[in-house]
Amino acid sequence: MNGFLYGIALQCKLDIRSKSLLITCYIIPLIFFLLMGGIFTSVMPDMKSTLIQAMLVLSVSMGAFVGLPPSLIETYGSDIKKVYKANGVPIYLGLVTMFLSAFVHLMIACIVIVLLAPILFEAVLPAQLPIFFLALAIYILVSLSIGSILGLMIKSQSKLTMIAQLLFLPSIMLSGIMFPLDFLPDFLKTIGRIFPASWGYRLMLDDGFCLENLVYLICVFFAAVIVCGVVLKKQK
Amino acid sequence: MNCAIQVCGLKKSYGSHRVLNGLDLQIEKGEIYALLGVNGAGKTTSLECIEGLRNYDSGTILVNGKMGIQLQSSSLPAHIKPMEAVKLFAKWNKTKIDSTMLNALGLKEIEKKPYNQLSTGQKRRLHLALALIGNPDIIFLDEPTAGLDVEGRISLHEQIRKLKSSGKTIVLASHDMAEVETLCDRIAILNNGAIVFCGTASELTDKVGKKYFIHIKTQQGDSTFETDNIEDTLISLLADLKQKEMHVLDIKVDRGTLEQHFMEMTRRETE
Repeated sequence: MNGFLYGIALQCKLDIRSKSLLITCYIIPLIFFLLMGGIFTSVMPDMKSTLIQAMLVLSVSMGAFVGLPPSLIETYGSDIKKVYKANGVPIYLGLVTMFLSAFVHLMIACIVIVLLAPILFEAVLPAQLPIFFLALAIYILVSLSIGSILGLMIKSQSKLTMIAQLLFLPSIMLSGIMFPLDFLPDFLKTIGRIFPASWGYRLMLDDGFCLENLVYLICVFFAAVIVCGVVLKKQK
Repeated sequence: MNCAIQVCGLKKSYGSHRVLNGLDLQIEKGEIYALLGVNGAGKTTSLECIEGLRNYDSGTILVNGKMGIQLQSSSLPAHIKPMEAVKLFAKWNKTKIDSTMLNALGLKEIEKKPYNQLSTGQKRRLHLALALIGNPDIIFLDEPTAGLDVEGRISLHEQIRKLKSSGKTIVLASHDMAEVETLCDRIAILNNGAIVFCGTASELTDKVGKKYFIHIKTQQGDSTFETDNIEDTLISLLADLKQKEMHVLDIKVDRGTLEQHFMEMTRRETE
């Protein structure tokens, strides 16, 4: 196994040992899913058709905005970065391995939700599972790319907590996963469209995988990749 | 080329504060070279510029060989275990893990402990192992024994001597004068961003330590005498003691410690 693959495998292990990622990628999303799944489907039975997508948007947003950035700050805001650089390990390794590891953990958490939702809450499975999982993968990638910017640019955990909430809460409240967007005033609908969560949610819905919903996510992803590249270059 | 590192006219400023002011130094292959200086003298900045970890404003740096670096302040992910870090760094450097080296540094005993549970000494040993993984020709050690207990320090000194005997060049930045005196072939004193002395410990003594110190231990107690004329003072002291019928238990003559000479040198340069 070469250094890069070993780095990814090692990061997956480290993430399992790190309680914070375990909490933000698995425990909280699953607890939230169990609670809200029950509430949503009993209060609004129509939500059974979108429960899986809604819970996935929540889990991914939590893992990407709240779970990933602290690990990045641990590396890029400390002497770890210097030790890597001094001993021949490329500076991008931390970001790439943490990104991929978080992707794997979030995908596992999402699969658990997809499997449990129909059993526990009679949620409707997406009609075309391969396309649904492709949409999910795209949404995870976009969310993690935003989480990466947070982790690379913010230097303190306290600031991060605040800024992560500024992203996480509107993503959940204004994306249409908690209640239909029609209930929101126009200006909140417009604000909601700024956050990838609303596009990701639509992309995962049946018949939602179309260019209109993809373009914004792709643009956000590439913009985030460029920003991360520039920030890493500066850190060199 | 017998020179491992050559630095000419190195300048570095942080904003308006100039830290390195035309630093020149030459380090020969296979020697242990110490960089001394008070806090803020520019030791770490010089080393980091040479190591390629920090940009500099002007000057030239030539490094003839592969570098291994142990930083002054080092860290690793909290949950990583020593052997995992060793494997990761070895794979990136495409080198085999030297089990003998790991055993010598006592890493086998702590291989299953996560990084955040290691003691300061264990962390230092791990970072030294990481610096040595790529089988470097030149090893930079920045305050390697800071925070270590006596046992840890002795063990690390032993490792450094072994490295030297295997032909490695070692560049050491330290505040521990005893360590520098016992380990290093040459010493450079850095003051206000430039080298103000470079040579062996005895050359520094010749330059700064003009006085002799005579330490005499008798049954009545210990006394120290300072003199410029060792022969006359020693003869008269011994005659005086004999006259007073004081029995001499031990007698030592030295020219002051490296620490005293270092302080004297930096004081002179500051004045």
